[in-house]
Amino acid sequence: MRAAVVIATKDLRQRLRDRSALTIGLIAPLAVAALMSFAFRNADTFHMNVGVVVQDRGELASAFRAGLSGPELRDLVSVHVVADPRTAAKQVRDRTLDAAFVVPVDFTRRTLAGLPAEIQVLSSTNARIAGQVASAIASSFAAQVNADRLSVATAMAAGSPSARLDALESAATQLRIPEQAVNHPTGAKQLKTISYYAPAMAIFFALFSVGFAGRSFFAERREGTLDRMAAAPLRPSTILIGKVLSVFVYSLASMLTVVGISGLFFGADWGGPTGVVALCVAMSLAIVALSALVIVFARTEQQVQALGSIIVFTLAVLGGNFITVSAEPALMRHVALLTPNGWALRGFLDLATGARSAGNLVQPVVSMLIFAVIVGGIAIVRSRRVLSP
Amino acid sequence: MWEQCRSGLRTLSDVRAACDDLGVTVPVLECTALTRRFGERVAVDSVSLTVHAGETYGLLGPNGAGKTTTIRLVCGLLRRDEGTITVAGIPVDENALDAKARIGFVPQDVALYPDLTCRENLEFIGRLYKLRGRKLGRRIDEVLAIIDLADRRNDRVDSFSGGMKRRLNIGAGLLHHPALLVLDEPTVGVDPQSRHAILESVQSLGREGMAILYTTHYMEEAERVCDRVGIIDRGRLIAEGTRRELVSRIEEHDRIELTASGDLVRFERAAREIDGVDGVSVQGAEVHLLARDARRVLPTVLEVAEHSGARVRSVEVVEPDLEAVFLHLTGTALRE
Repeated sequence: MRAAVVIATKDLRQRLRDRSALTIGLIAPLAVAALMSFAFRNADTFHMNVGVVVQDRGELASAFRAGLSGPELRDLVSVHVVADPRTAAKQVRDRTLDAAFVVPVDFTRRTLAGLPAEIQVLSSTNARIAGQVASAIASSFAAQVNADRLSVATAMAAGSPSARLDALESAATQLRIPEQAVNHPTGAKQLKTISYYAPAMAIFFALFSVGFAGRSFFAERREGTLDRMAAAPLRPSTILIGKVLSVFVYSLASMLTVVGISGLFFGADWGGPTGVVALCVAMSLAIVALSALVIVFARTEQQVQALGSIIVFTLAVLGGNFITVSAEPALMRHVALLTPNGWALRGFLDLATGARSAGNLVQPVVSMLIFAVIVGGIAIVRSRRVLSP
Repeated sequence: MWEQCRSGLRTLSDVRAACDDLGVTVPVLECTALTRRFGERVAVDSVSLTVHAGETYGLLGPNGAGKTTTIRLVCGLLRRDEGTITVAGIPVDENALDAKARIGFVPQDVALYPDLTCRENLEFIGRLYKLRGRKLGRRIDEVLAIIDLADRRNDRVDSFSGGMKRRLNIGAGLLHHPALLVLDEPTVGVDPQSRHAILESVQSLGREGMAILYTTHYMEEAERVCDRVGIIDRGRLIAEGTRRELVSRIEEHDRIELTASGDLVRFERAAREIDGVDGVSVQGAEVHLLARDARRVLPTVLEVAEHSGARVRSVEVVEPDLEAVFLHLTGTALRE
């Protein structure tokens, strides 16, 4: 084991002198995470500008206009009154507005008379989510109006005197549909964009060390230094352990440095340090196993390069390092859990939102360790054929 | 004493002490019937050799003769198909790691880390051989003095000249005081000055009692540094002995070196038929002939050359040497 530490120390010393390794291990993950956070900063809180064209002077139109500016929608929409439907449509096309409502003439009268009436929603294909939200707002208002009408009709049918119609209508408008969808996030905190991209990029760039170990191994073979090590009184497995041990230290140091700097200077939430360290260690062990696999299956430096890149990008795409897994189809969400980085990311995000405490990280940590054992086991079996003289 | 040797002696020092009492020296390296095949090709064919303490044994042969393969078998870098190897009395099959710890390996190509300093390279290699702390530091200083690089200890290896790298390459093999130093063509591609320094170091190490296995295809090197020489060709050890013993095999022969142009293939064929010529080899413009009584044969050789369409530009008659021995044994020149 001592000789393995000697080999790992030498590898790390060489890596520290290699600026590209420092760039990939430290500067790149922080830079990319910061850039992505900046690019998607508005994704933390969705907000839209809507226009409203009120052509009806009735009380329902006024109620709709008032509702848009009410406390429930204040954080979601900013309302801009627009003179006519044509101007509203132009502003939606120009993206000055994300969507617009048109309350037509006689909307109130037709509604109260039981005639078909509609609120038009103008939306753009370039702002589909805004269009969907605007439609949901209009539908919600229509549902409320229909509920009011239904309650009045029910009262009249039950024998309420016609003289009380106005009073009933007034009372009905004060009522709200009792079943409301209320959002209860499982985490105590909302996930900030940087809290997603910091771990995603830390893991992604740590995965690159899979190729480092392989390239170093084959460079040593090319330069003859591997022969020098093999001629020393070492078991072949000691050389492999030394090589991958340096990968463990490098990837762990890289991830923990990104944790520290993104937390201190970019405001990323990481949760408790115990859980973060446990996830980083487990992820580093998975990377170690992948490094060993690349070393024992590749035959040349070029194959290491190709195999390493395939592994890194496949895992990154499947595990959700580029696109948040929650935005992916159900199948991909399940596939993500076949990857160690998918589990690591899930663990980090749960820690960041408070959905999972350090004590509840057993599942992601054990999953990553199982991955490391299976992949590392394959590498060890294969290493006897590859490394023995 | 023999009974004691067979029954109770286990450690290397026990064996050495017992052998000293008997006046018997244990070879530092003993290879018996070493064989290695690569597919159908037999790269090393039943090679047996011994190297004693203080002895420099040269494996002399052309490129591809099996020298490096033999060395890789000795150093445990290749698995052998047949044969046994004992290093300092330790059978490699029984304790490979102990045996390896007694070998200093100097590979043919410079095997160092260019992005580390001279000292860092030596520290790393020393630690692989379990040297630590002050002992390692002291030993590094000693080795740097031997290879004359003490003043460059903190410089990165990629700033070294080719000769300096070669010297450091050798120094790395000496760090752990090996009983056996294995050098694989250590002077290939080295300038004359560095080459001289390397050969001086090897001779000095031999005088200090180190057993050295030295491969080369340079006859002059083998003659200068080796106490005994094994001539290897096509994987087989075809002759072995001191320079004097080997040359005595062809005492009656001289080597004629011609530089010529024209139809040398025809000349080679015709020269083989000359009475008194026992071997002919052509390499480029150089023609080597092994001849009995060269001065008597030389006029005939020149006449045959002229008739064969070869134009001779220079002639030299050389006293018997290892090159001539190789030509005698194989019919080809060493550097083919």
